[in-house]
Formats: sequence, structure tokens, C-alpha cells
Amino acid sequence: MKNLLLMTFVLLTFISCSKESKDEVTVYTTVDQIFSEPILKDFEKETGIKVKAIYDTEETKSTGVLNRIIAEKNNPHCDVFWSGDPIRAIVLKNRGITMGYDSPVAKDISEQFKDAAYHWIGFSARARVLVYNKNLLKADEVPDSIFDLLDKKYRAKFAIANPLFGTTSFHFAALFSTLGDKKAKELFSGFKKNHLLIATSNGDVKKRVLNAEIACGLTDTDDAFTAMEESKNMGIVFLDQKGIGSLVMPNTVSLMKNSPHNSNGKRLIDYLLSKEIEKKLAISSAQMPLHKGVKTPKNVPSLDNIVAMKIDYEKTAKKLEEIQGYLKTWGE
Amino acid sequence: MLVLKSLELAFFVAILATLLGGFFAFFLTKTNLPFKNFFKLLFLAPLFLSPYILTLSWVDFFVYFQGGKEFIYSFWGVIFVLTLIFTPLAMLVIASGLDNINAKLEEAGLMISSYPQVLFKIIFPLVKPAILSSFILVFVLALSEFSVPAFLSVKVLTTEIFTQFSAFYNYGLALANSMILVFISILLLLSEKFYLADASFLSMSTKSQQSRIVELESSKYPLFMIHLLYLFFSIVIPVVVLSVQSFDSGSVYFFQVITLLIPNIINSLFYAIIGALVLLLFGFLFAYISVKEKIKAMDTLLLIVFSVPSTVLGIGLIKFFNTPSLDFIYSSFWIIIIAYLGKFLFISHKLIGNALIQIPKSLEESAEMMGAGFFKRIQKIILPLIADKIFIVFIICFIFSLGELGATILVYPAGSAVMGIKLYTIMANAPQSLVSAMSLVILLVTVLAIVVLVLFYRVFVFYRLSK
Repeated sequence: MKNLLLMTFVLLTFISCSKESKDEVTVYTTVDQIFSEPILKDFEKETGIKVKAIYDTEETKSTGVLNRIIAEKNNPHCDVFWSGDPIRAIVLKNRGITMGYDSPVAKDISEQFKDAAYHWIGFSARARVLVYNKNLLKADEVPDSIFDLLDKKYRAKFAIANPLFGTTSFHFAALFSTLGDKKAKELFSGFKKNHLLIATSNGDVKKRVLNAEIACGLTDTDDAFTAMEESKNMGIVFLDQKGIGSLVMPNTVSLMKNSPHNSNGKRLIDYLLSKEIEKKLAISSAQMPLHKGVKTPKNVPSLDNIVAMKIDYEKTAKKLEEIQGYLKTWGE
Repeated sequence: MLVLKSLELAFFVAILATLLGGFFAFFLTKTNLPFKNFFKLLFLAPLFLSPYILTLSWVDFFVYFQGGKEFIYSFWGVIFVLTLIFTPLAMLVIASGLDNINAKLEEAGLMISSYPQVLFKIIFPLVKPAILSSFILVFVLALSEFSVPAFLSVKVLTTEIFTQFSAFYNYGLALANSMILVFISILLLLSEKFYLADASFLSMSTKSQQSRIVELESSKYPLFMIHLLYLFFSIVIPVVVLSVQSFDSGSVYFFQVITLLIPNIINSLFYAIIGALVLLLFGFLFAYISVKEKIKAMDTLLLIVFSVPSTVLGIGLIKFFNTPSLDFIYSSFWIIIIAYLGKFLFISHKLIGNALIQIPKSLEESAEMMGAGFFKRIQKIILPLIADKIFIVFIICFIFSLGELGATILVYPAGSAVMGIKLYTIMANAPQSLVSAMSLVILLVTVLAIVVLVLFYRVFVFYRLSK
């Protein structure tokens, strides 16, 4: 009996310590698992390459896997980083963790959605929108500009996620880039004076609006569209379509430097950047394709019909680093 | 200010959880309260649910009441949720202390005075170490808890550490803030040593027959109602909220949840069993060195690791093990087991150490004189004497390992997520019904696993005795 137990233990150790297989790829992603996992499983089925994935959590606000990649820098395990926005990819690029890969599949994607040295390439985009509860805001009361939220009639009626994390941090940095520091600070001070609610995450914003805890809130299109699926009382609006535009945030993929399965990583990147995947993401989470000619469901807006905020992603990432101290103080 | 606020929060949680835990421990251990075994088991349920999920269900409950939202999203809301989470732990620790009281002492006291006097003059002083232990344990755990204050938007030290890590990537400042937690925990341990000398930190007993049972008379049913009310408040409400949400879209999600969770259930149970076994092994070794060889530095060393926030521990493990030479560990499930060791070895070694203290030294000395070597003494004398206690430690380590997330989430090898991680990662943008259904399935799996382990142990004991 004792020998049997000992043998089992040794066997377990041996099995578990065996080296990584060649026919696999490791992907770390900040994209919600409910949307990313089916796509990775399809890749596995279609290519026979086993996908090992690490997903981020709502609790760690899209920074858990990023911190892990940074901590693993000297001995990388991740082959591909699939991010929900370009900011995290730029953080990794600036730390020398990613390498350039100019995927042939992304030739027709606009250069504005790519890093100059192809450390990241964008696909399927989300946008920042205002989600509102129709029971609490009548059609004529719905704001159409972010500046409207400074009006007293929205006092204590709108929510924003913690600006230190996730796409909200990106949104704030984009507003700083577009409006300039002075005007952006005036806007955010005005929000505070108008008693905005700072929620823990975009999901929390969505939930509070859905539960009629608050009338409206800024969030991402995927959160907003799932909220609309959950309740008919939810509505969304793209803000500032006659002004600065809405922030558009593509997903990005990056290849890790010195990763263990570099060629499989490239295959996965090509797969993710394909039109087929953009179509799947449009269906599952209303994401807007960056390739031309991708057929999407009717509820998915086209990028051609949205006035997008004019920003340089690289500069916005730098701006975010600059303003983080301000954002921390602002949020407290 | 943030440190003071964290200390204040931890203090209130520790006081309230210890008072409530002490109250229930007394009536469930020392009296003939009806259905007390039923209460003992169900009161533990909050330990099996993720704090994050419990918080979610309490938020969903409170938003229906006028002023409820303001309460739950506040400093006192965090205290409320954390008190409900840690009361079962305080109850376990104090109940073990009460179990250890020799009935003869109480009977001698009763010969000359009334029971209330025995309670205050004999029972209370004897159980004081367990009460203080409960206070310190809950204090340290509440101080290092992140998910509840973060979800309820209350800024404390752990949320600041998280911000430094996750928004600023400032590991240095995050580590410096973590050191404050470590320092406070060491101070608490030192104060415990100063006031209680050799009293045990975490005690437990399996010999409840030694303890005297008080017959409740007219107060029996009012007390029963109080227990029922607490059960309703602490367990039934969150479970009902989760159930209502789960069935919001029919039972479809339960099938989806089971399909989604199967690989994770297998991983979780496997890691938790291996984790509990390894914790037992090292807990025993450290406890033996600490108790028998009187090397007390072990306590401090393990307490430091125990009080380090999980995120810091996770990053530390990556930095240490993620090297080409140690990659065989980092790439395997053993890194998860090492994370469990870091988190819970302190508890395991304390519990086993307390069991070892109760074995007279003379037994081992006699065996040594008869020529028995170290391993033979362990096998033939020590282990048979503390077998029941070892099993309880195993169950406790199993429960803790099954629920550990903070460090595991940072180090688990890709593709080998456990149930709790799956729940956390699926939560973003998944329908509420699916998330709630998954929480309930995890609760059910945990309870079932514990029941199976207990049954297995009983069969094992029966087989051993019949042999």
C-alpha cells in the first residue's frame, strides 16, 4: 500500500513536471472569458494546437494578467497577449516584453490601429458609450455629450468606473489628450461637484444602471449590449457625435519576445486578426470590425457611422502615465 | 490615515466576530441546544463561499431597502459582510477552547457556587486564550482582506496595495505598504506571547466527552430561535438571493455551469487534497520542531508569510520560481501547492503544534530508551495519539486550499484553473443567472467533498478499530 502511494506520488510529480508540449500555445487575455474562450476553443479545433489560456478577472480590473506578464518577463510563459484595449499592449511594448509581428492577415486594417513596429495590431473595436435606464431617464432627457453630465439635472444620477483601471483610465487619458489638461480637469472637477458615483468596474456601472440604482453611466459597448439583452429598459447612446466623438478601442494582439511557442503564437495571431473572428465577436459582443466587408448583425454599429475621437494611442498611453497621480487623487 | 482606517475596520470585525462566534460556540458546545450539530455544520457555510460572491449577494439584497444601498456601500457595510464571513472561524476556534475544558473543574466549581459564577470565574479564564486567538486571527485576516472593501468601494490598506501594483506597477511601494501589514501581525503575535505566555494560539480538541454539558431549561427555545435567526440572516438570505438569481432564466444555466466547471472541479479537488496533505506533512514537521525542539522562530517566520498579502506572495513566488532551473515547478501544479503552503502553513503548524503539546514527553522518552528511532516513534506513538486531530487539520486545510484565490490566481499554470478562478473570470459580462448558478454549484461541490472525506475517514477508523 505504502509503495503504491509512493509510486502514485512520483508518477504525479513526473507527469506534472513534464516539459511543455510543442503543439500548444499559451495566451493571456484581458478580454472577458465569456467572449474569448469560445474563439480560442475554435482555434484549437481547427488547428489541433492546444490552447492554454489565462483569463483576467473583473476583480483585478484587467491588470491581473498584465502584472503576471511583467513579473514573468525574464522567463516568459505567455506566447500571445490578447488585450481588450491598446493601452496594456503599449505598457508591455515600453517594457521591452513584446516583439514586432506584421501579420499578413491584417494588411487591410488601417495603420491607425497598429503599432508602427507591429508590437500590437488592433482588430474588433469597442467604444465608450453612455448606458441609461429608460425608467429613470426619458428619451428627451438622455444626454448627448459628456459635457451635458455637468448639468444639475444629472446631479448624483450618473456613474463612472474607477478611472485608475481598465478602459475608464484609457477614456480619461483620451479626454486629456483631446481636450488638453486644463479643460479636462475642469470637466472632471465638474463631475465631482455634480456628485457622480465612482463604481468599481464597468460591469458594476452596468449592473447599477440595470438595477435602477442610478440613471446612467459610462461603460463599454460590450457591457452596454449585454445590459440591453438582459433588459428592455436599457438604452445606449454614443456621446459627442457632433463634437469630439466617442472613444473607439480596438482589441489588440501582441507576440511575446522569447516566448516558448513563437510560431504557434504567430498562427494564433493570424487567426485572431481574421475577418471570421471579427464576425464572431460582432455576434457575441457587438464589437465593430476593423476589416472592410465583414457582415455583422443589425444591432452592431459600423465604425463608418460613428464619429470617433481623434487620438494617437501611443501618446494617450503616455498621457495616462502622466495623469495617474491626478486620477488617484480625483478618485479619492 | 489609511493604516488607522484599516486597523479600525479589522478591530471592529475582530470584536464582533469574536463576540458572535463566542456566543454561538458556547451554546453549541456547552449546552443541550436542540439541533446543535445541524447548526454547527450550517454556520460554517460562509467559509465555503467566496467573500466576493457573498458581498455580491448582500449588495443585491440591500438595494431593495430604503437606505440599504448607502449602508452596504460604506465602512460599516464592509464590517457587516466581513463579520458574517469570519464569525464561523471565531466560532471554530472558541468552540475548540471550550471543548478542551475539563469537566472536573466545572463540577468542582458547581459544588460551591452557581453556574454563572463558574462561567465567569472558571470557564472564561480557561477559554481566554482561545478568545484572544480568535480575535488575533480574525484581525489579521480582516486586515489583509481585499475583495470585500474593493467591491464596496471602501479604501483601505489592501486596496492601496492593489492600486500600487495594478495601476502604477509600483512593486516597491506595494511591498512597502505590505510590510505595514506584516509588522502589525508580528506585533499582535508578540502581544499574545506577552500576555498569554504558553497558552495555545489555536487550540482544538476531539474529546468533547470531557466537557460538561449544561441543561438549558426555559431559555432553550428562545436560544434556539436566536440561532435560527442568525442562520437565516447569515446563510439563508445570501443563498436565497443566489438561488433566485440562478433560476431567473430557468434551469438552463445549471447545465451550462456543470459543463463549464467539470475540468475545474477535478483540478480544484485534486489540488486541495494534495495541498491539504502537503500542509499536514510540513505542518507536522514545523510543529514538531517548534514544540519538541522549542525553536520558536518558526512561529514568527510562518506568521510573516501568512500576513503577507496574497498578491505580494503571488508576485514573490513568480520572481523566485520562474527561472529556467525551477521552471519544472513553476510550470506544474506544484506552484499552486507552494502558494497554499505560504498561505496556510502557519495555521496548519499551529493546530498540529497544539495537538503535540498535549502528548506527554515521557511517552516518547520511554520509546527512545527502548531503542525506537525517530520515524518509529512518530509512526507508533505520536500519530496514533493525534490521528483524529490530524484529520480535522486535514479538513480545515482542504477547505482553505479549495477557497484560496489571491495567490493562486497569479501563479496557476495556463489551462489549469480551479473552480474559484473560473467563477471570477467568467463573471465579467456573463449573465447574473450563470454567475449565481456557478456560485451555488461550487458551494454544493465543497459541502459534498467535505461530507465524502468525513465518511471516508469514519470508514477508515471503523476498519482500523475492527482490525
